[in-house]
Amino acid sequence: MHPQLQLLVALQDMTGMIKEVEEKGSELEGMGFKTAGLDDLKRAREELEGQIEPQLMGAFQRLTAKFGRAVVPVVGNHCTGCFAQIPSSFVSKTNAGKLQRCESCGRILYWP
Amino acid sequence: MDIAEVLKNTSPELFLPDLKATDKESALSELVAGLTAGMDIKNPDTILQMLQSRESLGSTAVGPGIAFPHGRTLAVQRLTILMARSTAGVDFDSEDGEPTHLFFVLIAPPQDLGHQYIKSLATLIDTVQEASLREKLMAADDYEAFCAALRGE
Repeated sequence: MHPQLQLLVALQDMTGMIKEVEEKGSELEGMGFKTAGLDDLKRAREELEGQIEPQLMGAFQRLTAKFGRAVVPVVGNHCTGCFAQIPSSFVSKTNAGKLQRCESCGRILYWP
Repeated sequence: MDIAEVLKNTSPELFLPDLKATDKESALSELVAGLTAGMDIKNPDTILQMLQSRESLGSTAVGPGIAFPHGRTLAVQRLTILMARSTAGVDFDSEDGEPTHLFFVLIAPPQDLGHQYIKSLATLIDTVQEASLREKLMAADDYEAFCAALRGE
């Protein structure tokens, strides 16, 4: 996987986790889970953001603002954001390891 | 949600009867390796990183001798539950300081809009509250016996 994509996925997962704690924290605490480390996690997210190339980070933020999630999995050769078909050339050996975006919606593609 | 429904998200391949790890970091790695071996996961590091982030919020070892590492990640396409056991016990930063012997790892995709994994988590936590059940789980011979004990059979 492209190293910057790895960081973007981690960033998106972490952002989702923070949002979940902020929205459902009382439910999680009701189950016994502590969430005292939320501020530490937010700081870790900032550090992660600092490792992402600024231009890519800008695209990630724009896509997140527009769609909710900037990185989406490709399932059955389709972008799960807009369901457009992904050309087979995207997964060719030449393009393996490259950071790819959906030609239809622009979301960043991830092969789970 | 009942426990039988929750158990539809696991399988014999996602059962580790005796973890080797005795510390938290090694245990998380071993649990993720178990997930990778039990299903088609191309990016295990993504799951490990997510679980480490979750633990930084606060330890998920919230039950007596039980931990519930959990979270959402793009690395899986459906709710997946791995169950594991450690005879020796793992130092998992539990609140009571006691070693952790039972692990229920719940990994969900981000698009789990119905919060099925939180409901599954709540069901599992409720189910394992009884000490007698935890003893049965530790003594279970195999995956089938482990699941039967959880179902109260």
